[in-house]
Amino acid sequence: MSQELKQETAEQPESGLHSKGLSTGTVGVVGLVVIGISCIAPAYTLTAGLGATVAVVGTSLPAILLAGFIPMLLVALGYRELNNAMPDSGTSFTWATRAFGPMIGWMGGWGLIAATVIVLSNLAAVAVDFFYILLAQLTGNQAIADLTKNLWVNIPTTLVFIAAAAYISYRGLNATKVFQYVLVGFQVAVLLLFAIMAFTSSTPFDRTPINLDMFNPASVDSFAAFAAGISLSIFVFWGWDVTLTMNEETTDPAKVPGRGATWTVLVIIALYLAVSLGVLYWAGVGQTGLGAGNEANQESIFAVLSGPIMGPLAILMSLAILSSSAASLQSTMVSPARTLLAMGYYKALPPSFAKISPRFMSPSVATVVSAAAAAVFYVVTRLISENALWDTITALGLMICFYYGITALACVWYFRSELFTSVRNFFFKFLAPLIGGVVLLVMFFSTAIESMNPDYGSGSAIGSVGMVFILGIGVLLLGVAIMLFTKWRHPAFFRGETIKTR
Amino acid sequence: MNLLVGYTADQRGAEALELAAALVQGTATPSLTIGIVVPATTPFSAIYPGGDHGFDSILSAKVDEWAVTALAQVPQGVSAKVVARSVSSVAEGLIELAEEVGAHGIVLGGRKRHRAGFFMPGAVANALLHASPVPVFMSSPQALASLRAANGQITRMTAFVGDRPGAREVIANAAKFATIRKVALRVATLVADSDVSDPATELDPHLVRTKTFLTELTESMGLQASIEVISRQSLDEAIDSLTWEAGEIAILGSSRLAASRRLFVGAKAQRILGKLHVPMAVIPN
Repeated sequence: MSQELKQETAEQPESGLHSKGLSTGTVGVVGLVVIGISCIAPAYTLTAGLGATVAVVGTSLPAILLAGFIPMLLVALGYRELNNAMPDSGTSFTWATRAFGPMIGWMGGWGLIAATVIVLSNLAAVAVDFFYILLAQLTGNQAIADLTKNLWVNIPTTLVFIAAAAYISYRGLNATKVFQYVLVGFQVAVLLLFAIMAFTSSTPFDRTPINLDMFNPASVDSFAAFAAGISLSIFVFWGWDVTLTMNEETTDPAKVPGRGATWTVLVIIALYLAVSLGVLYWAGVGQTGLGAGNEANQESIFAVLSGPIMGPLAILMSLAILSSSAASLQSTMVSPARTLLAMGYYKALPPSFAKISPRFMSPSVATVVSAAAAAVFYVVTRLISENALWDTITALGLMICFYYGITALACVWYFRSELFTSVRNFFFKFLAPLIGGVVLLVMFFSTAIESMNPDYGSGSAIGSVGMVFILGIGVLLLGVAIMLFTKWRHPAFFRGETIKTR
Repeated sequence: MNLLVGYTADQRGAEALELAAALVQGTATPSLTIGIVVPATTPFSAIYPGGDHGFDSILSAKVDEWAVTALAQVPQGVSAKVVARSVSSVAEGLIELAEEVGAHGIVLGGRKRHRAGFFMPGAVANALLHASPVPVFMSSPQALASLRAANGQITRMTAFVGDRPGAREVIANAAKFATIRKVALRVATLVADSDVSDPATELDPHLVRTKTFLTELTESMGLQASIEVISRQSLDEAIDSLTWEAGEIAILGSSRLAASRRLFVGAKAQRILGKLHVPMAVIPN
């Protein structure tokens, strides 16, 4: 009559916990390209990032987009090595902790959380803008599109979008294959349509002939502009590395990830070049009217240009951006929540962050905190910056450079004993991540110093310090403060008791 | 008897476990399979940036923790094991597990949520009610209070049936449980005025017919059962006027059978489910 203490959770792989259940080996090259593009969310990144990038590099936009991919590629190669070596242990936080110890690991995790929280607030803001633009286009009443400029309407709507995304990710609803194919196909089709209509337009605003110089990175005015341009174009490729880190989900782990990653980047670069050349050709970089150099247009370039270029079809663009940013809002919400959860679990944050909802099997406290942080960040930037979206994107570029840089160097240091044992190791574990990491950290410091100038970004400033610097560095310093507080109250992680360093 | 518990590591899971233990105790080989269903992720909902963030390993450590908590709640004399499964839908996972372990039924905990004037079972229960190949038992805090009032002892089974021939299966299933547990069987039919087209003239003959039909039916099955035909103006009043013993279990036919059993069509069956304050079982055909 004794109780049989039997658990099948740990020792039975077919119980599915460790083999990820149904997802094993179902993704082919096309599926992986779709996943990659959906993580990049090109309709969203272009509308949010193109204007800000034009602002710093002008007509060299195509060159910067091409150059920006290189550090992303180098870092992603390091990511892949870390992911293969420690597939179960997570991401920047755990990897950097294993390589460099608790303090740098903690800040790596914080950089990732900060970047995702910032992008969440930006995604929500873009979704809300296009929500009202779409409503205006549907009803034919232009006044509705202007509602988004009214803070009393804009802020509450954005908070509702953030809350809805948090609720959906807390409930653990998953996007299906069909949903992703439709969403991605629609996005790509609308962006191509935009590029074609820009080139075939009979009445361009400021016809700017395409020339080879646009593809020459050396034609960028200054190193500072180049650095800022790179950190922005990192943002537009952010998401691509997911194609390299998917292994066991693919039908052939030896071939599919490499091919999928290659095709994804080819599709994305082609799309970006088509759209950015279309924008340059049609609108020029002039600082007046519809010019892409006009500060008023840089917040969200498609909000301004899709109407004049696409006419009544602009409604498709609004729909593409709204769907892509809303879908990304929901899927990105999971990321900071899981990093916070992992940090709570390994005692790098108060243990309540480690709570998992027994019903929905998702982080509970961590999800609420992520959504609240994104909401607070949005409200603060919206209230104190003249051009919140633009400054946010620039601060985001900073943050991505920071945590990517740390993670890439973590790869080099983690594998330090085996770097020179083979040619493969030398390139993938040493050279690529080292160059990528150093480049990104240089971009980080260069952009951070540059952004202290009050004229930087949208030109908002507090005192005589630029808004982007205050946002970016402020968030990092907040991280340092929280880290020191946690170290004082919950020292276990910082003594190396929860994650072993190598 | 072996029952599968749809377990979540919270109050509702604890209640499901309590009901399940009460149901199997006293049977020949009382055993419970505690099922924890973890939602499977699809690669098409890729988490970006940073992939899985080690979530799977943290979650499986958590599930191990929950498994220990769950086993600690199982009373002496009942054998129990925990099975975790990663499937995209909880209901689907429970059905799979029930078939694999050969469970005689699935037990769920739950809260009744007030929706548009009457109560509804939760999403998982609802899905199971439409697809489960085995009986589904449902508890709620009020239902457990009734069970606890009888010291966790099951005292009687009540089968809800209509006046149609299909009632036989529900009665047979309820009788099977009653026999295993050696408790009394009651067969109840609820009649609202609107069930007959002209209550003034047709109601009484209808009640008499129903009672005769059920009496003959149970006798033909060789069962000792008390028959109650409750007639009130509305269904709600009829449900309310039924009296319950502490420790009683209500048994209904599944709504999948709606076409052949008039009393359990749609809203009516849902309404009975929602208004009862005792643990319930819904039995497939």
